[in-house]
Amino acid sequence: MSIRIMSLSCLLMLGLASQSVSAEVEEGAHDLSVELKPGGSVSNADGLAAWDRIYAVVSHPRCVNCHTDEGGIPMWTDDELGGTRPHGMNISAGESRQGREFLECETCHQTSTRPNTMPHAPPHAGIPWQLAPVEFLWFGQDSKTICEQIRDPRRNGGRGGRGLVEHITHDASLKGFIAWAFDPGGGREPAPGTLQQHLDDTIEWVAAGMPCPQE
Amino acid sequence: MVELRVNGVVQQVDVEEEMPLLWALRDALGITGTKYGCGIAQCGACTVHLDGRAVRACQVAVGDVGHREITTIEGLGTPESPHPVQAAWIELQVAQCGYCQSGQIMSAAALLERTPDPSDDQIDRVLSANLCRCGTYPRIKSAVKLAAQRLQGG
Amino acid sequence: MGRLGTVTRRTFLIGSAAVAGGVAFGTYMVKRPLPNPLLDDLAEGEAAITPYVKIDADGVTLITPRADKGQGAYSIQAHLIAEELDVDPHSVRLTPGLPGPAYYNANVLKEGSPFPQYDESWMAQRVRGLMELPAKLMGMQMTGGSTTTPEAYEKLRMAGAVARETLKEAAARQTGVARSMLSTEDGHVVTPSGDRLAYADLASLAADIRPVTNVELRPPEDWTRLGRSVERVDIVAKSTGTLDYGIDLDFDDMLHASVRTNPGMGGALVSFDASAAESMRGVSQVVEITNGVGVVADNTWRAFQVVNAIEIEWADGPYPSSQGEIWDELARAHDGEPDSRNRDDGDVEAMFSDSAATVLEAEYRVPFLAHAPLEPMNAIVKASDDRLEIWTGTQIPGFIKTHAAELSGVAPENIFVYVQPMGGSFGRRLEDTYVLQAIEMALAEKGRPVKMTWTREEDMTHDYPRPAQLARMRGAVKNGEVQAYDFANSSSSVMNSWFGRLMGPLPGPDATIVSGAWDQPLGIPNYRVTGYRAPEMVPTSSWRSVGNSGVGFQHAGFLDELFVAAGVDPMDELIRLCTHDLSRQVLEELKSLSGWTGPSLGEDRARGVAFAMSFGVPMAEVVEVTSTPRGIRIDKVYAVCEVGRVLDPVNIEAQITGGVIWGLGHAMNCELTYENFAPKQTNYHNFEGMRLYQTPEIVAKALENGDEVNGIGEPSVPPAGPALANAIFAVSGQRIRELPLNKHVRFV
Repeated sequence: MSIRIMSLSCLLMLGLASQSVSAEVEEGAHDLSVELKPGGSVSNADGLAAWDRIYAVVSHPRCVNCHTDEGGIPMWTDDELGGTRPHGMNISAGESRQGREFLECETCHQTSTRPNTMPHAPPHAGIPWQLAPVEFLWFGQDSKTICEQIRDPRRNGGRGGRGLVEHITHDASLKGFIAWAFDPGGGREPAPGTLQQHLDDTIEWVAAGMPCPQE
Repeated sequence: MVELRVNGVVQQVDVEEEMPLLWALRDALGITGTKYGCGIAQCGACTVHLDGRAVRACQVAVGDVGHREITTIEGLGTPESPHPVQAAWIELQVAQCGYCQSGQIMSAAALLERTPDPSDDQIDRVLSANLCRCGTYPRIKSAVKLAAQRLQGG
Repeated sequence: MGRLGTVTRRTFLIGSAAVAGGVAFGTYMVKRPLPNPLLDDLAEGEAAITPYVKIDADGVTLITPRADKGQGAYSIQAHLIAEELDVDPHSVRLTPGLPGPAYYNANVLKEGSPFPQYDESWMAQRVRGLMELPAKLMGMQMTGGSTTTPEAYEKLRMAGAVARETLKEAAARQTGVARSMLSTEDGHVVTPSGDRLAYADLASLAADIRPVTNVELRPPEDWTRLGRSVERVDIVAKSTGTLDYGIDLDFDDMLHASVRTNPGMGGALVSFDASAAESMRGVSQVVEITNGVGVVADNTWRAFQVVNAIEIEWADGPYPSSQGEIWDELARAHDGEPDSRNRDDGDVEAMFSDSAATVLEAEYRVPFLAHAPLEPMNAIVKASDDRLEIWTGTQIPGFIKTHAAELSGVAPENIFVYVQPMGGSFGRRLEDTYVLQAIEMALAEKGRPVKMTWTREEDMTHDYPRPAQLARMRGAVKNGEVQAYDFANSSSSVMNSWFGRLMGPLPGPDATIVSGAWDQPLGIPNYRVTGYRAPEMVPTSSWRSVGNSGVGFQHAGFLDELFVAAGVDPMDELIRLCTHDLSRQVLEELKSLSGWTGPSLGEDRARGVAFAMSFGVPMAEVVEVTSTPRGIRIDKVYAVCEVGRVLDPVNIEAQITGGVIWGLGHAMNCELTYENFAPKQTNYHNFEGMRLYQTPEIVAKALENGDEVNGIGEPSVPPAGPALANAIFAVSGQRIRELPLNKHVRFV
């Protein structure tokens, strides 16, 4: 069964760790089809395979570069410049993860649902730009570590399996960071696959009981 | 038509909503103290304030400004009555070519508005996103500190 | 009538010319028998006036003819005139002037002189320097480093003094009081009884009398402006956003334009499809221009959007397509015939075959570098059938006039170039392609001003960069001394490329391929410097400190290797080798100021030193660094130079400091690398330079031991990069022989 979901945000706000999805952002629709699967309907092997695809996404530069450690320094990836390096201009997002102690991320990264078009310009999304909370550390982490973090409600913003799925649809309704990763614009390499596939993989993984690799 | 509040005046501009605020200011309103340097938020020459917070005007679509109050370098102070940050810039003769300095000053003013007594680290982090090809950085640093002192009555 | 005064103790003439409603004072340039390309359009004996002071009913206007790219030239020129004229530079009008008929008398000026009044002395120096080279090669005496006559320093003060005395003479005739009894103060002639006659009211009378030229310049101890910290004339405007740069000008009915031209510079346009572009809102027209396409629209942003939306097919650029092939060409040039060998002291080969000597060899590379001033290239042009008006930031308004006439067919006397304040240049605005493009579009929109602005991307990829260069050197040390240095550099010729566009390629060797090496006051007993000219590849131009910028790194870097091999202290050895008193004083002052006791500063800290003499200025710098776990941090720089006389202490400190930051920043992280004929670097995200957090404390000191007054915009650049590289070697043992340094180390 396919459901077109409109404005689920009231429900989904509960699980969000980010304190800054502000009321001024108008919540819109998204075009994802959400086909939930009952728990246990997916095998462990299929769940692990789904996780591998999820990991390919969450370990991609479009995602990990803003899931950095307590140093608060975002990363830049530019293959012409020899790969990944700290964000230029001496940027630090600070403990606030939004640069409030120094230069706010929003000085350059606007909050806007307009498409990103200009190469090398700071990307924007429909929610205020920021680093992920420090406990969501992904940069430089292996598959097992990230997997265990994402399924741990104490370290994922209090989300259960369903909450993780709703996190994706809610983000999509706001044109948030997950949606942006698949459509970063400006010539940037997107995260692998599509947002729909990522959602399907997450549903699959959750239905399999959120299995994580052993090594 | 987009309505903008610039330096205390409400203005109507007949441009598309996607036009960056930078170009609405410069080409539609003739407010040219805000400079074009890179178009990708690398140089900071276009820095203005939106409700007192520094932003790069090349990255803000006019359609996204909404009711926020825009302040440009011209609205910060004037030759006759410069803002304390501008006065410090004048006193220490910071500018060489001067093209980046509107942006530097707007960044510094926004910093001091929120952080009246910034640490060296805060100055280094905030002003490093404004590029100066002439290399006026040592004086920029001194001028920020002087302005901070003055603003605190020092 | 133009009136020539007497010859002053230099070789220039001060005179006056009547202008509408008043009088202009300035220098006359007279065509002499010696070949001087600056005056080629003048007949023998004819003269043109370069005005510095204009006085008419509206008051006093100081004409500050050398372009202000941000280095404070307007201000210092105004203060030079004002020192003698007794006016307040802040309360008179300042203008860069206009190369047009207003200031010239038909009797003395032949219009269309190919050389600008602006930067005339600067240009002339360079041309002269180049033309001297063949003579030098034939073994005539070299003049050494300090050959520059500080013309502006005398000319402008002299013009101010002549104007002052002539105004006093006019007042004497009007009042009957002898000139010797009159004084001047703040734009007025003052009589003994206290009557004040405004200069403006004396202007028409002054125009009718022979200028008073037997004047003495005021001695420095009487100066009230020069030599002190004065407020720059443009500092308030630049701090309040109220200075209009060229890019800021607005005219009624003005159109906005932008262009894209072949990224392989000089390559042709094959075809383009503008069908989508032409139908976009606000587009006036799409214009085919030389090697590219321009869009004329209702605002700049639109012009950018539309021009980027055009599908264009480009022909190949007229040079090797990749950086690798360019390096290969530069390497091959070393196997060819030398372009110059300006120095060949002793016998380097004999020393290399001395079995007691330790011989070192190395190869050093420096990359193409863009000037990338923050204000992108732009020009406003209004064209009609028989008239062109051009507003732009430029260092070459005279060439623009010539080129514009060739391009448009408009007579030169009907072409007007209005020089605007510039948001940086660093040598960039010695080219005028962008102006010619604006003219092409204005000719398609006759009657309406067209403002053409380049996107940063167009600017970065069409910069006329400094050339990439490849140096090979050998050296020998023996008994703890540097005994031999054989330096050879290969490069395309900037002078050929640049002058080729300005007025035709210059004959003879290109000294800039080796400037910073052959002309250094170092007494190495066996010392040879050879330049090899590679084929012209990417079009190149003068970049802050010109040849010295790259050669300075190569020459001082390998010299440091020789010092290490000889087991000597680099500072002491530089002092020992130095053959020029003023340079030695600079080094000794630097040693004392920096507390130099050797390269090491303890664990993880060290310093490097480099010396380079350029543009007549000996400059030595010490760079102190710390090796941190995250990379190299530059802590402090000491920069000492010899300038003869400090005219504006605030500005000189700014120029030295700015040059150090320029030199360090580009050495750290800047290069243009070519691929498919175009640089891969397209904006500041990958051509960054130094930012504030990386900026070290800089201690600058200018000595005044010499008797020449020298400009300081360029000389602090060459030693900065090598002093940093030498410091990195001292702290890490890593010798880096190519720029930028961040190919090998990280900086924090």
